[in-house]
Order: sequence, then structure tokens, then C-alpha cells
Amino acid sequence: MQKAMAAMGWFRNLWHRLFKKPPRELVAFPEIFEHFQTLLQAHQKVMEIIADLGEKSGGDYVFDRKYLVDQVHQLEDLLLRLVKDLNLISGNRHMALYAALDRILLPLEAELRGRLSLTEEMPYVVELSLAPLDLPELLGGKAEILVEISRRLNLPVPDGFVITTRAFRRFMEHNHLYERIHALLVAWTSGELDLTQVSRQIQYAILAGVMPQEVAREIRQQAQTRPFWAVRSSAFGEDEELSFAGLHESFLQVPRSGVLEAVKKVWVSLYSPEALSYRQRMRLLGEEAAMAVLCQEVINSRASGVVHSLDVRSLDNDRLVIYAYPGLGRTVAQGLANLDRFVVERHPPFHIKESEVALKEKCWRPAAAGGEEEVALSQEDRRRPALEEKDLETLARWSQTLERYFKRPQETEWALDEAGRLWILQSRRLAAPQTVKLPDIRQVCSHYPVLIREQGAVAHAGVGAGPVFVVSSDQELESFPEGAVLVTRYTAPWLAPAVPKAVAIVAEQGSPAGHLATIAREFRVPTLVGVENAPALLPQGQEVTVDTHNRMIYLGKVTELLRYELIQSTVFEDAPEFRLLRRILKRIAPLYLTDPLDPNFSPEGCRTVHDVVRFVHEKAVQELMDLPRFLRRFKEARLFTLDSEVPLGLKIWDLGGGVDPEAKGSHITAAQLRSRPLKAFWEGLSQPGVWSTEPVPVDFKGLMASLTRPLGEGPGAPPYAGINLAVVTEDYLNLHLKLGYHYNLIDARMEPEAHHNHIYFRFVGGVTDPERRSRRARLLADILSRYHFKVDIKADLVLARLLHLPQEEIRRRLIALGQLVGFTRQLDMQLKSDEDIGLFLESFLQRLEPAEGPQSP
Amino acid sequence: MVQNKLKILILDDEPIVCKRLKPSLEKQGFEVDTFTRSFEALQAVEQTKYDIIITDLKMEGMDGMRFLQEAKKLHPDSEIIVITGFATMETAKESFKKGVFDFIAKPFNLSEIHRVVMRAEAKIRGTQA
Repeated sequence: MQKAMAAMGWFRNLWHRLFKKPPRELVAFPEIFEHFQTLLQAHQKVMEIIADLGEKSGGDYVFDRKYLVDQVHQLEDLLLRLVKDLNLISGNRHMALYAALDRILLPLEAELRGRLSLTEEMPYVVELSLAPLDLPELLGGKAEILVEISRRLNLPVPDGFVITTRAFRRFMEHNHLYERIHALLVAWTSGELDLTQVSRQIQYAILAGVMPQEVAREIRQQAQTRPFWAVRSSAFGEDEELSFAGLHESFLQVPRSGVLEAVKKVWVSLYSPEALSYRQRMRLLGEEAAMAVLCQEVINSRASGVVHSLDVRSLDNDRLVIYAYPGLGRTVAQGLANLDRFVVERHPPFHIKESEVALKEKCWRPAAAGGEEEVALSQEDRRRPALEEKDLETLARWSQTLERYFKRPQETEWALDEAGRLWILQSRRLAAPQTVKLPDIRQVCSHYPVLIREQGAVAHAGVGAGPVFVVSSDQELESFPEGAVLVTRYTAPWLAPAVPKAVAIVAEQGSPAGHLATIAREFRVPTLVGVENAPALLPQGQEVTVDTHNRMIYLGKVTELLRYELIQSTVFEDAPEFRLLRRILKRIAPLYLTDPLDPNFSPEGCRTVHDVVRFVHEKAVQELMDLPRFLRRFKEARLFTLDSEVPLGLKIWDLGGGVDPEAKGSHITAAQLRSRPLKAFWEGLSQPGVWSTEPVPVDFKGLMASLTRPLGEGPGAPPYAGINLAVVTEDYLNLHLKLGYHYNLIDARMEPEAHHNHIYFRFVGGVTDPERRSRRARLLADILSRYHFKVDIKADLVLARLLHLPQEEIRRRLIALGQLVGFTRQLDMQLKSDEDIGLFLESFLQRLEPAEGPQSP
Repeated sequence: MVQNKLKILILDDEPIVCKRLKPSLEKQGFEVDTFTRSFEALQAVEQTKYDIIITDLKMEGMDGMRFLQEAKKLHPDSEIIVITGFATMETAKESFKKGVFDFIAKPFNLSEIHRVVMRAEAKIRGTQA
């Protein structure tokens, strides 16, 4: 990686030396053409790696850290090549991209180094609501879990902030404590000092340490926002195998002025005799210990307790247990005996099967002068259940959501505040009895009827069971029930809101690199895509079990398999390699630069690898289309004119394989097209009735507007107005159309491999007034959404994108786009009112290529 | 028919590989031991006969290749499955034309390795019959 970085610096220097004032047309056309080709190839390769990394994060693959390092190195090389090629093509107009590469690649490199990878950009103190996800190294285990609960699962967690492990490390370095601690630990292990002495000396040293100013300032700033705080440890490494539970300190009702001292006291608990001997037993003494501290609003609870998402005493009953007691949590922390105990079914509507209401005498309340006091309960409160039924149902539902996400039985602490709101204070793995006798799972599964066998690809691995809910429109989406299996034909982005509620997802289309797959992984929902005929084979309402490990879908609930997964299988999502992959993906895969007209569409605006390649691609295409320079290039490039009944005068620039090699002269017919995407588009455009040469009647208002609006006005007007040009290869199309006053860009790739494919559609400008133009934009957006494009509208600009569909699906959509372009040629003239949008929409949809394909009803 | 469980040894210095493979193969009905250090794996092989050995090639300490040779010497009829990075795949195939049941390139998916292990199982059960 250092090599790559050095190379980057080298390139930069070289370029500065060679081209201080770059001569614009220094590079000859054939060379530019070559660079454009390699740029397209590198672009393609980057997109493949991004897709590959996404797919690997779904749990179906076994990969190691080396794989991640190799892939990131390859990305770096490709990005360097892309930026170099773009600068060669453009006469060094995009040198600022090198700084963007530094900004994106250096943190990536830092992520790949070491286990406890804290970088300079990470905060000392961060609010829970703003804390980064997937970084237990920074937040510690407990805080990381709360961030996931509130941000991914959207369940209520008391507000607060985290003093990160980076602050801990800063404190230790500031006071030279690492050296001292190391020496003391050596003295202990060699028998010079005993455990108590070592522990005490380390603890004194920490308590006497000076808080670095910048850390102290940030802590005070946060602490002053409330009078009292609950201050808890959040150690890194408190994961499933290393349970430090109970070894580290917590302080309740800490006044804001006491937070700094409380933080040190929590840190100190990392070196208590118990914690030290635990780490020695676990052979962790040599590893750097790090502790984050969690400060949260104190909930003055009317009742508190814990939920066990699974009744470990009787696994076969498929029930959960809720423990509750009036007042603050202290009683609950003392043990589960003598609390109210409710046994509830593990599935909606969460019937209560048993309730044992304890006889209660006293409970803990906040004291008027701060702190807590124990008070006697009134006669009627002694026998009253601490929770109402509706709260039991809420807690039962939450506990199942938590279990589904964390993939392990959960022990969840909760509190009910004075206003009657429930809060989650903490959730951790519930220790299941080690003696659970599990059956031969293959044997058991073989007794269940199979609905679908070995079909589709794994987007996210796991097992989930629930009733089938088939979704085919956004209306149906709203009624999607919690705990159902989401079944759909397409993996369209608008399905996203249902994902967190689903126990599993089965899609007929889509790829593991697609958008829905990404969201499914975010919420850890077991997902199979590309399952042929899924909506037909999985009847609405039928309970099924989806098992991605064997790519099987069973009829009914395979309880044994679900329990096996819950207790026996590894939670791959928690492995360090998976977390690392998810973190680096955040710097690689998201696309923030979607709108080339946005002022932020610049090297400075690039936040991810995807942004950089998007920017480079857009600029490279623009460079080639730059009219004055391009006209000069025409002399060298071989351009064909397409002869057709559709009088577009389309020029075709074939970059390879796009036109019949036998073609002679400068004119070709549609039959000589070899470019698959252009052929499909043309098939749509040239269908009978699509392109009418008859002028569309222009009403007076529309005509006036068209006459007074000069050509090329507005932000979207291209510099090469007037030329209709298609740059093609066998499977690629970059089409620029100027029809009337509209400007249309279509960029499409259509290969046998679905994850290579995309369509990008951009439509802007046009005759008539702004109101009509935006009306037309909305109509286009409506139609394109029906074809599962992701659509953005900005005034009269329409941007639509679609990724990773199989070749045939891309073809169908390109035919539809051809039809659409034909129809909308002068459509804005006819859209007189908003009501017209609906009418046009209907008539289009009746005539257009069906979005669902021929097999659909 | 109840058959004896086959024993599998997995050696890879990346703990994640062992951690993912072990439960997944156990679920398929195999008995699985995992090692991240080759000398420990070798000690195990000296004491126990494994029906199937799954190993990486490039590791610190003793090389996977040497481990394989030693293991093969001790138990010639153990079936060997080599998992290795894409980059080293060709070298691996070249050096082990004989004696290796199959090669799998990293990263691999679990069903891929299940298929290979099941073929190895069929071969072993076939020769025993």
C-alpha cells in the first residue's frame, strides 16, 4: 500500500514537472481514444470489485484479512490509473483528484492496519446519536450495541455520549502510563509483586493522572447538558467469548461536575484484581486494554427489569420471559428472585402464558437530594403487577427484534419512565445452558416439506421463519407486518422500509451486489435473490422457513433449525473481519455524487471510491463530448450515420464491436447495429406509432414560451447541442440526444453478467414554461419508477439509475426508454394540468413494454 | 444406516477460516478439529487419523506444504483439500499434481467447500465398502 501511496506522489510530481502549463491538445486523438478505453475498463473493474466486496459481506463466503488487503490494493491501483487516464484525456484539468485520492485512501489503509485501529480523525468524545457504526474498537462493546439498537433497529435508548477508547489512549500516553503499567504487569507475572499490590499501584497511577486538556474540554462540554448522568464502562473486547460482565464499574446519578472523576474511576476498573486475573486467564494481558465510557441520561423509572428473549428453562415451549419490579433498577440488579415474572409466547400477538406477581415490600426511588433511597410500597402496590399488558407486548416484540438482529438469545435491561415510556438500557447475549442437546439437524430438516430447493443466490446468510407477505407495490409495503417473510419480484430500492421488519427476504430478481442486498445486510436479514418464481411458489400468509445455508425454503416453521441457529451457529456478523469489511465498504461503496449539475460534483465533493469513479467517468465522457474539441476529433474518428425512418440523423461512434464489421461507407442501417443496448433502444424508438413525424399540436401558451426561450439556456444545456451521438461498443451505449428542446443522455451497459449492468438516464430542458416542464419531469419519474429505476427530480431535470439487472431485463428497459423518448418528444406541450399526468401515465403504461416481463399477469 | 462420523482437520493461520468452517461442517455431520498453527496440527495428526484434511498453504512457521507431506506420510489414505489464495493457485496445483483431492481458491463460499467435502466423503466411503 505504501508503494501505491508513493506512486501517487510520484505521479503528482511528474505531472507538475511535465505540465506546469499543460498544452491542451498535446495528446493525439488515437492516444486519447486508447486512454478512454483503458479508463472504461478500469471503471468496470472498480465497479466489479465494489460489487464483489459487497457480496462477500453477506456471510456466504469465507474470506480472510488478506483478501481485504488485496482488494483494497487493487482498488488503489485502478483509481490511480483512472485519474491518470482522465488527466491525459483532459490535459490535466483534474489534478485535484489526487488530493481526493489521498483523503479517501489513507483512512482505508489505516483501517486495514492492526486490530485496535484508532486513527487521528476519530473523536475523543461523541454523542450516541452521532457515533459511528461498526466501530466497537472506538466505542467499546456496550456503547456500540446501544448505537446499533437505536440507529439500526430504531428502538428507544436514553440519550448520552461516549468517551471513546481514543480518549483513554490519549490519557494514558499523556501520563506515560503504558510504560508504567507494562513494568508493573511484568513484575506481577514474574512473581515480584502480588496481584493486589499491582492492581492498587496501577489504579493509583490512573487516578493521579492528569486529564489532557482537549479531552477534559470535550467531556465537560457534553456533561453540562444535563444535571445527572449514569456513567458506565464500555470495554473493548466485551464480546461473546470474553465476557467481562460485572467486572467493570458503573455509577448512577453522577452530577455533571463529577463526570470527569467518574470517568477515571471507570477506567480504573479495567485494572481491578478481578479484571486483571481474568485477563491473565484469558491470555489477554499482553494485548492493549482499552476502555470507553458511556454517559447516559438517568431514567427515573417507575418500573424496571429484564427480558430473556428465550426461556432457557424450557426451550421446547418457544417462549420468552419478562421480569419486572417497581422503581429503579437496583432491585433487579440484585437478582431475579422475587420479581414479577411473565412468560410470553415468542411470536405475535405475544400471548401471555404465565404471570407470577411477586409480593413486594419496598422499592428504590430517586432521593430528593440526589442519589437513591429505599421506600416502602403502599398496600395496593405490593400485589399490583409492575407492568401492564400493553407494555409486556412491546417488550416481547422488542426482544424478538433484538434477538433477530444480534442472532443470539438476548438478555435486555429495560426501564419504564414516569411518563409511561419504555426504554432499552442494555442488551447482551443471554447465557444459554451448555447442556442443550441438539438433534442431527440434517436429519430433522429432511422431514419438513420443501417449497423451494437450492435456488437463488445468498445476499445475506441466515435462517428466518414467518408468514409470507408478497409485496408488489408501495401501498402493500405500508401494511408489511413485523416478523413476516418479504417476497418480491424485484429488488427495488423502495422496498427498503420493510427490510428491518422482515425475518427473511426472497426476491425473484436481483443480485447479491444489488441495492436491496446492501440494505438487507445492514439489518442482517437473511436474504435470497434470484429465486425463480418465488411469488408463485410461496403463497401469501403461509408460514415458511428460509435457510440460506442450503438455499432451501421449507413449508412451516422448522423450530429445530431456528433453535440450532440461535444457539449453535457462529454469528459471522460479529467477526472482526466482517466488521472491518463493513467499515471499509462505507468508504468504498456508497455513491454521494449523483447529480453532475450539483456544484458539489467535484473532486472536493468525493467522499468514497465510488464517488471518484463516478466523477472520473462523467468527466471523461464530457471531455470526449466537448464540442469544439470534439469536432476536430471527428476528422480522425470513424463516424457512421444511421439511416432510418426515424429522422434523428444519429451519428454512431463505434469503439469496438458496436457496428457490423462489414459495414462500408459512412451510412448504416439499423440491421447493421451490433451494439446490444443501442439495438434495444432503437427497437423501442422505431416501433410503429412511437415516433410520429406529425408535429404535435402546440397550444398558444406553450408556443409563446418556446419562442421566447433561447436555445441552450439553463443549467442543463449541453455545449454540444444539435448533435445526436451514440458512442458504442458491443455491450455499451453512451447516447446523447437533442430532441426539440430536450436534452437526453442514456448511458447503459448490457452484459451477460448481471452485476456489470446499468442504465443511467438523464433528461433536461425543453420548450414551454417551468411549470409544465416540472410536470413532465414528474410524469417521467412516475413512469421510470414503475420500471424500478431510482429516480431523482430537480426542477425539470430527471435523473434515473438502475443497476445489476440481467441482460434481458436491461434490454426490456432500453426498449421502453426508446418508446419513452419517442413519446415525450414534445409531451410538455400536452400536459396542461396535473390531472393530465395520471391520464398520460395510464396510456403510456398500456402501450409501453411491460415492466414485469411477458410471464406476468 | 448409521455411519461413523468422518473426522476432519482444518489448518489455517487465519482464525476466521477455522471459526466459519468448523460449525458449518459440524452441521453437515462431521467431527471437526481446527488449528491455526501447523506444528500443533502435526502433533494432532501424529495421534489421530483424520479422514479429511483441509489446509491453507502459505502460513507462518511450518509451511502448509511441509505439513501436507508429513501428514500424507503418516496416513496415506487421508484425503487432502487445499485452500489457497487466487494468486498462489497455479503454483499450488503445479506442486501437488498428485496426492491432493481438490483445490479451493479463497475466498470461497460454504456450499463450494461442502460439495468438495461431500465428494471426498463419497470416495472414502466407497473405498471402505
